[in-house]
Amino acid sequence: MTVKKTGRSTFFIVVALIALFAVSTVTGLDYIYGDNTTTVIKGVDDIRLGIDIKGGVDVTFAPAGDYDATDAQLDAATEVIKTRLATLGINDNELYSDGKSDRIIVRFPWQAGESNFDPEAAVKELGEMAELTFRKGDEYDTDAEGNITPTGDIVINGSDIDSAGYTQQPDASGNYEWVVTLKLNTDGTSKFGSATSELAGTSTPISIWMDSTMISAPTVNNAITNGNAVITGNFTSESAKKLADQINSGALPFKIETKSFKTISPTMGEGSLDAILLAAVIAFALIAIYMIVLYRVPGLVAVIAICGQIAGSLAAVTGWFGFQPGATLTIPGIAGIILAVGMGVDANIITGERIKEELRSGKSTDAAIRVAYKRAFSAILDGNITNVIIAIILMGAFGVPSSFFSKILNRTIFFMFGATAEGVVYSFGFTLLVGVICNFIFGVFASRLMVTSLAKWSDKKALYGGDGK
Amino acid sequence: MSKKKQEASQAQAYTGKVYDFCSKKTMILVIAICVVVALIAGALIRGVKFAIEFKGGTLLTYSYTGDLDTDAVDAEVEKLVDSNVNVRRGESLDSDGYQITISFTSKEGLNADGQHELTENLRAAFPDNELELFDSNDVSPSSGREFLLKCLLAMVFAAILIIIYIAIRFSRIGGWSAGICSIFALCHDILAALAVSIICGFEFNSNIVAVILTILGYSINNTIVIYDRIRENRTLMPKASLNELINTGCSQSLTRSIRTSVTTIGTMLVVTIVVLISGYNSLLSFSVPLMAGLISGTYSSLFVAPVTWSWWKGSKKAPKKDKKNDK
Repeated sequence: MTVKKTGRSTFFIVVALIALFAVSTVTGLDYIYGDNTTTVIKGVDDIRLGIDIKGGVDVTFAPAGDYDATDAQLDAATEVIKTRLATLGINDNELYSDGKSDRIIVRFPWQAGESNFDPEAAVKELGEMAELTFRKGDEYDTDAEGNITPTGDIVINGSDIDSAGYTQQPDASGNYEWVVTLKLNTDGTSKFGSATSELAGTSTPISIWMDSTMISAPTVNNAITNGNAVITGNFTSESAKKLADQINSGALPFKIETKSFKTISPTMGEGSLDAILLAAVIAFALIAIYMIVLYRVPGLVAVIAICGQIAGSLAAVTGWFGFQPGATLTIPGIAGIILAVGMGVDANIITGERIKEELRSGKSTDAAIRVAYKRAFSAILDGNITNVIIAIILMGAFGVPSSFFSKILNRTIFFMFGATAEGVVYSFGFTLLVGVICNFIFGVFASRLMVTSLAKWSDKKALYGGDGK
Repeated sequence: MSKKKQEASQAQAYTGKVYDFCSKKTMILVIAICVVVALIAGALIRGVKFAIEFKGGTLLTYSYTGDLDTDAVDAEVEKLVDSNVNVRRGESLDSDGYQITISFTSKEGLNADGQHELTENLRAAFPDNELELFDSNDVSPSSGREFLLKCLLAMVFAAILIIIYIAIRFSRIGGWSAGICSIFALCHDILAALAVSIICGFEFNSNIVAVILTILGYSINNTIVIYDRIRENRTLMPKASLNELINTGCSQSLTRSIRTSVTTIGTMLVVTIVVLISGYNSLLSFSVPLMAGLISGTYSSLFVAPVTWSWWKGSKKAPKKDKKNDK
């Protein structure tokens, strides 16, 4: 290997670049133009924290019983849930579906201080089938467990409805009551028109059902052919709005139930995040002192390199690099960063020990540094590549169904499992992979540049861990 | 090229003390047996507690104020759930209120409807206690089993790929056996972490998954650093026996092993202390078993992996050569 042109100034250039990178990662970059803040680079404040840190809801839906949904049905169901999330005002959400195991995974945060938000009720509403039917007559069957099944012929269902709204109108005695108004589409208008003309004047009512609950069963006075229908039934403004929203977001094509359902309160997670951050700062300070005392100049360089590595991991999480969108940081994700930083410290210790060894064998400082970095590299390479293997397997096995590694692994080795999207394990794999890559950039490449450059200033062996002189 | 050779000849003169790692077979066997015995004894005496991520079930935590009779809560929950309900009282971390934790395993898991109903029922039954849902976790038994199986399969798959990788990269010194022995060391470390986890009475939850994953990375890395030295010594000392190579390699790596371990184990010690002081004990089941795994990892990479490997290689060649290394 030829000697690279590493001059005295290289050290400062590398340090400046790492500092610039680290600072821009932490603070981010945005400018304010008028009232608009444009974020060019996302900073640490913009990191999306996982629900295990900031609290939230993680729920997996699957078809009830042994129902096998087709991919088209699953997509339709996912769309319905997406609309319902928006209707509930939950805009910051993650929604995945997996056609192989028929699962729909929803995650959304539960903001701190949002005490009037009821996650249980929200999830219940997301998972309701919400199939609206208008039926002839109001007959129904009750099975042994008390479950009600309407039996009348279906006149129209949710797919015949163009849009729903809610308003107030006077009832028979002149009091204003809340009602849900429906605008039917062409198909629905003709079906509804023929049914109402058939039943007009008879005592057979048209019953209106939401799933297995009868909302009301009015009798028909006149045929309704203009495509407008009204649902009455002791609504309040809230319940009328809810029903209209449900009709607008459509029915699920099949009945679903929760496979797993997890809520984490915000206070729990934030406390443990603070504890981890405090521990990380203390540990970093101790390691910095330890490295500098043991290895002098290479130790100092190691500390700078580790700063760069941590910044690199954070940058990948915030989405600093334009090519990937950023990720969610969870507690195991932090463990992945810690593991990668540990590997980075180890790489520097391996090199530091090598420099000492080579110095002891009588080499000049310059030669010792060169040989040490070269020799240490094979160990660092093999150790880190095995971690890359582990990281990729984890990302594949527990990633979201649409991600790259997940597509490869879930179709081959994990074929008998559905996508679990266990975000927690995925997050560990992601930060580990990024950390290991950063380890090569900072722990190996940048630190060699820095040590080699500093050796140009002074090559006293004692500064590099040699014995005296 | 000539420079390279010159450097190689200089590095050959390893003057440090060479310890005889390969003669410690009995000790290694005894320690491995101790780890397994500790694991089994711990499992028998304290029992293995699987968290509901793995076994399926429901865990609900509510915060409340005032006095709450746990037996009354138990009775209220059992109205809705036809299985054994466990109710535990705890102190809240963030306020001066209290918490109550309800856990049970039901065949189907409690779905969102059921959970909503349960919360409503409890609020109605204990209106003065301002029950608020703190956190909840509900996993159907089938998903729990699937998650466990998938974790295991991911680890087995990772182990196979690592063996293949080591076999290729270390083919010069007999890669396959080296790869398999690195997995022995890995199993040793994982068992040590599990044993400590069981003895401390932690339940197996997603923290233990993170612990095992971390150990997977560190243990293999530690072993590879040592193998790398052996591989290098093979070039530098072409005439040396495998045991001499191993002893030299381990001795050379000793300082690095100890110093790296000081940083990693130290970090986990800091985490443990901070967690103990701040009271977020949920992280203890991460930091304490990980520390055990890291300590085991330092030892196993120096002893278990290289020595079982020398044993393996030695027993194959035994009929041809005299057994000078058997004690």
